[in-house]
Amino acid sequence: MSPSSHSLSTIQSWMQAVIRHPEGVEAGVADEAAQAAIPLSLPDIERVITRSRSLDSIHRLRIYSNAYFARLLEVLSGEFPALAHTLGDELFAEFAAGYLQQHPSQSYTLAELVVKLPEHLAATRPERESTDPDWADFLIDLATLERIYSEVFDGSGVESVTVWRGTDLDPTTPDRWAEGHLVFAPCVRLVTLRFPVHEYITAVRRKEAPEMPAPSPTYLVVSRRDYVVRRVPVPLTEFRVLSELFQRKSIAEALAHVWSADVPTTDVQRSAQQVHDWFRSWTAAGYFVEWIPAPFVPEQLPDALAHGVPRDAR
Amino acid sequence: MSNPRLGMPHLGFGVGLRTTHFPYLLRNEARVDWFEIISENFMDSQGRPRHVLDQLAERYRFVMHGVSLSVGSSDPLNFDYLRKLKRLADEIRAVWVSDHLCWTGVAGINTHDLLPMPLNEESLQHVIERVNIVQDCLERPLVLENPSSYVTFAASTMPEWEFLTRLTEETDCGLLLDVNNVYVSSVNHDFDPAEYIRGVPADRVVQFHLAGHTNCGTHLIDTHDGPVIDPVWELYRLAHRLTGGVATLLEWDARIPEFPVLEHEIQKARQVTDGVATLDFEADELTDARTGHSPVPQPAVYVTAEVE
Repeated sequence: MSPSSHSLSTIQSWMQAVIRHPEGVEAGVADEAAQAAIPLSLPDIERVITRSRSLDSIHRLRIYSNAYFARLLEVLSGEFPALAHTLGDELFAEFAAGYLQQHPSQSYTLAELVVKLPEHLAATRPERESTDPDWADFLIDLATLERIYSEVFDGSGVESVTVWRGTDLDPTTPDRWAEGHLVFAPCVRLVTLRFPVHEYITAVRRKEAPEMPAPSPTYLVVSRRDYVVRRVPVPLTEFRVLSELFQRKSIAEALAHVWSADVPTTDVQRSAQQVHDWFRSWTAAGYFVEWIPAPFVPEQLPDALAHGVPRDAR
Repeated sequence: MSNPRLGMPHLGFGVGLRTTHFPYLLRNEARVDWFEIISENFMDSQGRPRHVLDQLAERYRFVMHGVSLSVGSSDPLNFDYLRKLKRLADEIRAVWVSDHLCWTGVAGINTHDLLPMPLNEESLQHVIERVNIVQDCLERPLVLENPSSYVTFAASTMPEWEFLTRLTEETDCGLLLDVNNVYVSSVNHDFDPAEYIRGVPADRVVQFHLAGHTNCGTHLIDTHDGPVIDPVWELYRLAHRLTGGVATLLEWDARIPEFPVLEHEIQKARQVTDGVATLDFEADELTDARTGHSPVPQPAVYVTAEVE
């Protein structure tokens, strides 16, 4: 076959296989994928890529090969700074190379490249030696939360809509209020973690050198206000109420469910005050966009608010 | 000269909008005429990047510069991408939309690099067909940039300037002439950069790019991480003379300095076109030894989250 007879698609398939090979250009040329496109031995490479006065064909291709990994590694370490800090440069680069081989970008946007990294970490973790949270769990928690931060940062928010402050409720009809449902803002995420990685991530972003924290069940509400991601650790009981509300339970159901489990000797007055404080802090933080009176019929939602309902609620 | 710049306006002197400059630009009036954005960083954004862009679009004119069109790829065009591109262009009233003469991947993969094409009849017909489709989708002319490149193909049968000339003749697309890329590729591929500049159709050039690069001894890499060097200013002066002057933009995408440094650098372009400068800015060419790291060719632009 003469040099110029390779089609555009053949040359592109060959070049992509060569520059994406994790062991470099020489291994890429010899690899099955490249050979399937253009069967070629290294000494014949100038039949495809010509040399310059200063560089031979292999060295010229290496510029693209090095750039492919360096560029995407830069993206991954920018997206997961705390994970990269914890693993160290060498280990993170090795992990990133494995991830890129298994999950190459298939989107026009780099934002999609990072989506599967936490699950890749979970799928490739070393075998667990005990039921206690371990080093791998810590890394998975880090990646999970850093990924959520990015998703919330650039996703849909409530900056241009009016959040629900609870001021439109009639205080004379508390039963009616409790039978209603709350629609969460689209930027709210409820996150359960095995380690308090939120503090660790903040320390890394401040260029500090934090120690790995001891495991401690951690419940976070991640949201966004004024285009900046906020995270609030909350006690388990409060987190459970929020989770029930997130799962379309009415306010009465969410509270009853949690209290029946957690507060067998209810001090009614104290609990009422607690609920009052929760709702005051939740509404102040802008977690909700609407209160929907019972019965809940998703089709009744105004279009402008429909995006605020958790996807599985529609 | 028939219809200079395809009838598009001469926007003056601008810089690439980067998130690191958001706080400065929201507090200060920029001493630039216009901005260019990386389209993909804003197409899907519903957060702060898009919010700031909308604010700035009230005050400045914007051009959209993409890195994922992959007009040279043998994979099918992504029409979902094109729809989003058009929507953003309409929403921010982009003066024009540009991308690169390149491919970014095949078999569904995006390498996020601007990979060069073999320059021959098959490639030319392929790109002509796709540019026409893209222009129909966007309902405006596409402006294509010459990329920096590091390899050439045995299958190539024509120089890049001839390829671009024929492409513009067949499609009426515009050209974004990256003067630094011409210089980088000329060193890497042993051709005369002035011949390239003279070889492209001056009346199809809508925009110039200027940037710094890194000298790796045996080759140059387009790193966008330093000032423009004098030989590139010299080529810019030639290109300005041949075109009669078009919108000029400075790219600075790595080791990004404070915004006033960019303002100062783009003012040099104004001086060159005013005939004031004697082209002795004497910016030292960056070397990989001096920067202390392995240079990564552009594009490498990504937005990271702000967390409180």
